Amino acid sequence: MPKCTIDGKQIEFAAGTNLIEVAKSAGIEIPFYCYHPGLSIVAQCRMCAVEIEGMPKLQTACSTNATDGMVVKTNSERSVANQKSVMEFLLINHPLDCSICDKSGECDLQDFSYRYGSAHMRYEEERRTFVDDDMGPIIKKNMNRCIHCTRCIRFADEIADKREIVALQRGNHTEIVTVEGKPLATEYAGCYADICPTGSLTLKDFRFQKRVWFLKKTPSVCEGCSRGCNMDISWEKDTVYRCNPRTNMEVNKWWMCDEGRFNFHYVHNPLRIVEPETMSDGRTAKVDWDKAIHAATHATTGKKAVVLVGSDLTQEELQGIQKFATKKLGGAQVFHFGTPGVKTVADDKDIDHLLKRASKTANLNGVEKLGIQPFDKVPAGAQVAVVFRGGRAQLPNLGSTPVVGVGVFFTEEAKNFAAVLPGASFAEKNGTIINWKGMEQKLQAAIPAVGHSKQLAEILLHWTHGAAKEEVIPAAAGEITA
Amino acid sequence: MKPKTLSAKFYEAMDKLVPRYPTRVALLLPALHQAQEEKRWLSDETLDEIATYIDIHPAQVREVASFYTMYNLKPVGKFHLKICTNAACILRGADELVEHCEKKLGIACGSTTADQLFTLAEEECLGACGTAPAMMLNDDYVENLTVSKMDEILARH
Amino acid sequence: MEAQKGKWETIYIQHFREEARPLKYYLDQMEGYQALKKCLGLTPDDIINEVKKSNLRGRGGAGFPTGTKWGFIPKQSPKPKYVVCNADESEPGTFKDRDLMRYTPHLLIEGMVIAGHAIGANVGYIYIRGEYTREAKLLDEAINEAYAKGYLGNDVLGTGFKFDLTVHRGAGAYICGEETGLLNSLEGKRGEPRVKPPFPAQAGAFGGPTIVNNVETLCAVPFIMRKGGEWFAKFGKFEKSGGTRLFCVSGHVKKPGLYELPAGAITIRELIYDYCGGILDDKPLKAVIPGGSSAPVLTASEIDVALDIEPMMKAKTMLGSAGIMVVAEGFDVVKLIRRITKFYAHESCGQCTPCREGCRWMEEILGRIMDGKGKRQDTDMLLSIADNINGKTLCALGDAAAGPVISFVTKFKPDFEAKMPAGGTHA
Repeated sequence: MPKCTIDGKQIEFAAGTNLIEVAKSAGIEIPFYCYHPGLSIVAQCRMCAVEIEGMPKLQTACSTNATDGMVVKTNSERSVANQKSVMEFLLINHPLDCSICDKSGECDLQDFSYRYGSAHMRYEEERRTFVDDDMGPIIKKNMNRCIHCTRCIRFADEIADKREIVALQRGNHTEIVTVEGKPLATEYAGCYADICPTGSLTLKDFRFQKRVWFLKKTPSVCEGCSRGCNMDISWEKDTVYRCNPRTNMEVNKWWMCDEGRFNFHYVHNPLRIVEPETMSDGRTAKVDWDKAIHAATHATTGKKAVVLVGSDLTQEELQGIQKFATKKLGGAQVFHFGTPGVKTVADDKDIDHLLKRASKTANLNGVEKLGIQPFDKVPAGAQVAVVFRGGRAQLPNLGSTPVVGVGVFFTEEAKNFAAVLPGASFAEKNGTIINWKGMEQKLQAAIPAVGHSKQLAEILLHWTHGAAKEEVIPAAAGEITA
Repeated sequence: MKPKTLSAKFYEAMDKLVPRYPTRVALLLPALHQAQEEKRWLSDETLDEIATYIDIHPAQVREVASFYTMYNLKPVGKFHLKICTNAACILRGADELVEHCEKKLGIACGSTTADQLFTLAEEECLGACGTAPAMMLNDDYVENLTVSKMDEILARH
Repeated sequence: MEAQKGKWETIYIQHFREEARPLKYYLDQMEGYQALKKCLGLTPDDIINEVKKSNLRGRGGAGFPTGTKWGFIPKQSPKPKYVVCNADESEPGTFKDRDLMRYTPHLLIEGMVIAGHAIGANVGYIYIRGEYTREAKLLDEAINEAYAKGYLGNDVLGTGFKFDLTVHRGAGAYICGEETGLLNSLEGKRGEPRVKPPFPAQAGAFGGPTIVNNVETLCAVPFIMRKGGEWFAKFGKFEKSGGTRLFCVSGHVKKPGLYELPAGAITIRELIYDYCGGILDDKPLKAVIPGGSSAPVLTASEIDVALDIEPMMKAKTMLGSAGIMVVAEGFDVVKLIRRITKFYAHESCGQCTPCREGCRWMEEILGRIMDGKGKRQDTDMLLSIADNINGKTLCALGDAAAGPVISFVTKFKPDFEAKMPAGGTHA
């Protein structure tokens, strides 16, 4: 394998790898702005310029592939001087309003300025300013903060496939806009906030919500469709504040769609049922768990039941439910539901050029692998339906059949349920889901179950009055929280 | 479908150019020139129509049109005076010439007279340095400019 | 255009008259299209070797050996190849290509067809700056004449060689004179220069191998192919630099205009005083910008440099586009460099950080100095900014902006200091 030397370190690399990536593989940071592994290379920001033996001028590391025997210095006097001067140039027209900027704390401009820039500002002239146009409901633009890295323009062209973000004019007056403030049409608008290295493009949804240094990140997987984009859940205490994509070259590369990104809002939706409920005399009442379990038992004992499971549940939950249905619901048939019209894995397909899939639940593949059949209609003679659901699967029409709901439900849809036993959403539980390709991926709990909701294992345990854990719910046994 | 505002002549001229380029997008600069020839300036409507003809996003037309200084994205006067004030012309008194025009027309450089007759602008090097000072009057070059020659032109129009 | 008197043989300038433009004149008086006839019977390598022998160097400003450039084009290519003429002529002080195009357009056409045969290209474009509206029309007319007589089209001179030529107008952007900016503009995009590599010889216009040559460079080709590379090379007084070239003189001389001289034959001093009649009003000389505004300025005592590429480089400036601008005593050089810097800031495409931010910064400081609000440290500041731009940008526009600033501030420092308020403000 070819070898090169960076800052005295000998590093092996695969042919065709640029110097930024080769350096990174050896733990050496070369700062950059315009470079992004998922976008075309433009070598514009000049931040990554390094000294290469035998070449008189500094070369941009992003556009230079390593060659066998190449000797590179990223911290030579000339490289360091260049980094300082590029940082200086980038900041002379920047408003330096970190104190009110959402990006603060995860801003490349801040970080690289601190590590590679100068502590002094020599600029004494007037800064160039812009009047901001709107960009629609997802992205907030602040053109004064822009450092013209053009990642957004390239993303529009190369990834979103909608040339709706462009640069107008030229030189120092270059302004990056949508046409006449038209809202972004792409379904990947949230990615603009991810790739913008400054606070120029930020999420309106997250604006002024929380300082990022208070947030913790838990790696998880999006439940928005069967792609299973990897993502991070950012949270503090018991609240989720945002989700952004996590790189996975097999699944979603660096991106995720807006539907998936903003899906988490239902977790804290005030219309989400987070206290057990029962129905009596046509009225819904909030009750404690004992009463709710009692109502559920009453609704199902001695009755022919049918069990519906959302394909938004995890493998562990599904296996537990299958055992429960067999042993505690008289061998009730189990059917899955999720996306109308997408009943099987064969029905599922790509619905756009990038990530989105027809199945709006993340575990269709998993549910099928467990041999569960898609729901068609309530079987003849069924007297009660027990519906288990994660929060995403679309409830089918169950006619006048009495329903016991276990999992995540919302007031309107559950208003006639005999009982609601509130469960954990994707952000509150660990579990395995299988994406469209057959890859097993892990959900990880970021926050505790909201309100009085419980993990499924705990609910089933309670319902079976502590019947042998291993018999009923071995797979879900590990889910019990205090 | 929006009604067409560009003439048949525009579409004929553009269709003639199609076989000369391997891509449709390469027609963009010629299209903007052709449209400006008949409309004098490029309104949003015109830019959108060009976008439709070439089959690209309207934003793409604007990013190109706004990059180049010759495309008028705002209305211009009947007589567009573009006086070069770059090195060779400034050596031969071009900035005094501009000042003179500002006074004579009563407008600041970069603006149009109230009667929409004259637009006065500074221009970069026009490639007529040997006959400096020089300017463009609409599409034509006027070279070896003097104050009196300038006055004559202003009076004539 | 006053006929140039002198002892040197010229090949262009005697034809710079309205009468010379029609095809008939070109055929009768300039042995028009004889070179093309000859070339269609030669191999591409024959042609390229002849051009190499001629020591023809690019006349646009970079001075790259033309034969070598043509030799970079791969023999085989999955994508079509192109000949592109850079007729963007926007370097301040330059006005030679304009005359070539309006008086001897067929020289350019013939040169391009020959180039097409040499590299295996069947399509050519003339990218002409938008402001040359009249010249573009005249080129179109000449092209129509050439098509009518079979010098262009599907069957050039009955040999089966196919070559189509189209005039493509720019629209006011100096940066489109940079070859990759030009190619992007040709393709219907913003004229922003590209990362190199890949170079145009590998991936140029529409992704295919492309040569981009200046007008004057291509106009030399018919002469070279008709009379031989050696003949052309012999004109040059310095090694590896052949032919005559057109020098554009402007500013404070009595006889500004175009002068055709062998490369390196005379010095700047001789050009100004022996050919251009000396300084206007016989004033003393203050400064000369010798190669378009991008060339570092020379003081009055530095003009004994031969007008060719290597000697100018040795004198720490450049011949560039051979646009010589002469400044007499009494003219405010600070005003001059301010205006030149304003030009670069205006023409910067805005892609790369040092040029986008640095050019405007320099413009702001120079503006402040001109407004009487200069500070003592401004000259050092200008040098520091220019130094941070020089050699650190995506294309040469950054260098073109930085070099002049450095040279003016270094060589004319007292002029800058004289503008500072008395006593000077010190931040």
